[in-house]
Amino acid sequence: MNLKHRIVSLLCAGTLLTGLLSGCGGPGTEFDGTNKSSGNSDTLRLYIWGEYTGDEIIENFEEEYGCRVIMETFDSNEMMYTKLTSGDSYDVLVPSDYMIERLLKENYLQPIDREVITNFDLLDKNVVGLPYDPDNTYSIPYFWGTVGIVYNKNHVDYADLEKEGWNILANPKYENKLYLYDSERDSFMMAFKALGYSMNTDSEEEIHAAYEWLCNINNTMHPVYVTDEIIDNMINGTKDIGIVYSGDAAYILSENPDMGYYCPTQGTNIWSDAMVIPKNAPNPDLANEFLNYVLTYDASYDNTEEVGYTSSNAEVAADVYGEGGIYEGNEAYVPRSGFDKDEVFRDNEYLRQRLSELWIKVKAGSTASNG
Amino acid sequence: MKQFRSMAYPYVAWIAILIILPMLLIIAYAFTVEGTAFFQCQFTLDNFARFFSDAVFFQVLIRSMRTAIITTIVCLLLGYPAAYAISRSGMSSTKLILIITLPTWINMLVRTYAWVGILQDNGLLNSLLGLLHIGPFQFMYTDFAVVLGMVYNFLPFMILEIHTSLSKMDPSYLEAASDLGADHVKAFFKVTLPLSIPGIISGITLVFLPAVSSFFIPKLLGGGQYVLIGNVIESQFLTSGNWSFGSALSLTMVIIIMISMYFTRKLDRNREDEV
Repeated sequence: MNLKHRIVSLLCAGTLLTGLLSGCGGPGTEFDGTNKSSGNSDTLRLYIWGEYTGDEIIENFEEEYGCRVIMETFDSNEMMYTKLTSGDSYDVLVPSDYMIERLLKENYLQPIDREVITNFDLLDKNVVGLPYDPDNTYSIPYFWGTVGIVYNKNHVDYADLEKEGWNILANPKYENKLYLYDSERDSFMMAFKALGYSMNTDSEEEIHAAYEWLCNINNTMHPVYVTDEIIDNMINGTKDIGIVYSGDAAYILSENPDMGYYCPTQGTNIWSDAMVIPKNAPNPDLANEFLNYVLTYDASYDNTEEVGYTSSNAEVAADVYGEGGIYEGNEAYVPRSGFDKDEVFRDNEYLRQRLSELWIKVKAGSTASNG
Repeated sequence: MKQFRSMAYPYVAWIAILIILPMLLIIAYAFTVEGTAFFQCQFTLDNFARFFSDAVFFQVLIRSMRTAIITTIVCLLLGYPAAYAISRSGMSSTKLILIITLPTWINMLVRTYAWVGILQDNGLLNSLLGLLHIGPFQFMYTDFAVVLGMVYNFLPFMILEIHTSLSKMDPSYLEAASDLGADHVKAFFKVTLPLSIPGIISGITLVFLPAVSSFFIPKLLGGGQYVLIGNVIESQFLTSGNWSFGSALSLTMVIIIMISMYFTRKLDRNREDEV
């Protein structure tokens, strides 16, 4: 082995392995201390989804409260979980419903100060008191929505959607024309709903039926599994059907008028992302102020205008969807309510593990029989 | 030489912190039950049992191997003539090598994203073909796209390694061969090729290793349904949060790679014995 060769292989090995060092604590190591690193009193550390804030909200908050906001972004709840549990400290996190439930169970969150959150009543009643935090002791909703089907109105027969719901994904008419979201939770949600089950089921029989439902689609329909690439591709009309979060769908619909959004009556996932304050927050007072600030009309409007997801502020959502609003009449913008088959994801460790095992098998295209 | 020995300490520290320690952590995770704190861990072989008892992981492994082998063969077939031409080009060879390595100055992820733009249904390639009234074809999310992405990213390693061994070759061997009556073709197969085998072997190693464990190239160009072993390991760490199983998979990969490296080396050594 010559020297250059050795250096190259060392570099390769080094880069591969450094990633592992950063997470020595590992998952599952429970954090029970409070504030370890005494943070600067005028700094707010915000950890939020990528591209999830308005143009001016951060700057305005900094100005109004004379502080500095350090924003970090994540692209999956699990990534956020890994960083938080390996000891990083933040003042405000914005994860999804089921992840908040998990963080609560594992004792990572502190109660919010409802004295400070004077804008609480501005929240849409539909996102208050959800099962993951029934009294909103720990969380303030940020955005919410549904998961549904974006379809090309010129190529997809609306009657098929109405008649088949999620089962349209198995309709041979649309073979090679599907984008599925590469996430086990969302994919199994469709399967459970198509089969008439709860998406929070514990029944091995139902899980297996859902697995076969997905295998059938995978093996006969040649779907492509992507994540955010769906947005651009549906705007360009590359394929006819895509599984999309309602906020992204609102954006797609506003960019391409040929696209429509449909939520099957079989039920769907009503998701919400909410702001929480972790136990190890260096600056919980400022964090509470931030939560309250986000709820104000102007801040909420700025967020929803830029991102396209449904605001948790009822008045903002109504204005945006209503006459003259930026998403006037956009069927994807306003999440539906009153469908008793719609559900909220719960944290369920058994189901989580089963789905992640089975999802690899679905995608790897193995036959349903050896599941 | 003794006074230089202390200069090796930073290197030893580097190895210990960045290579040995993470390897030990992987081993520790692979043999413990997930979900317990690190220092109260419980020994288990379940993670390995799960890998060997479920056919799907074996299928994924075979698929990863197949993709990596195809990539390596294509790299060799393209890389050898290129390296040969460069080493015979005399003065301009340094410039040519520079051109080969030029793309590697840009981040690999960015270059792979560029291929997405080229290959997608209404991308650059299909637009060009459209001008000739051919297509459009589906390039993205196929085996073709994944192998293309890998060959593109790893080809420079192959060319560099083979070029190094070819340029080290003494030209008088070829003169001797032609003095003894061998024509160009015969001289190539009897002299040049055997002498460049060490280069070929290290080229194969440098292409095969990253290809077999690559996870972002199949993810970007093959879509989520193109599951290779690297993708399974990634998902165990990032989405399932099952570090123990992810570590067990990594460790199994390391062992398989070590075995195949051992045989490659052995092949090389046997050949040297023959010569």
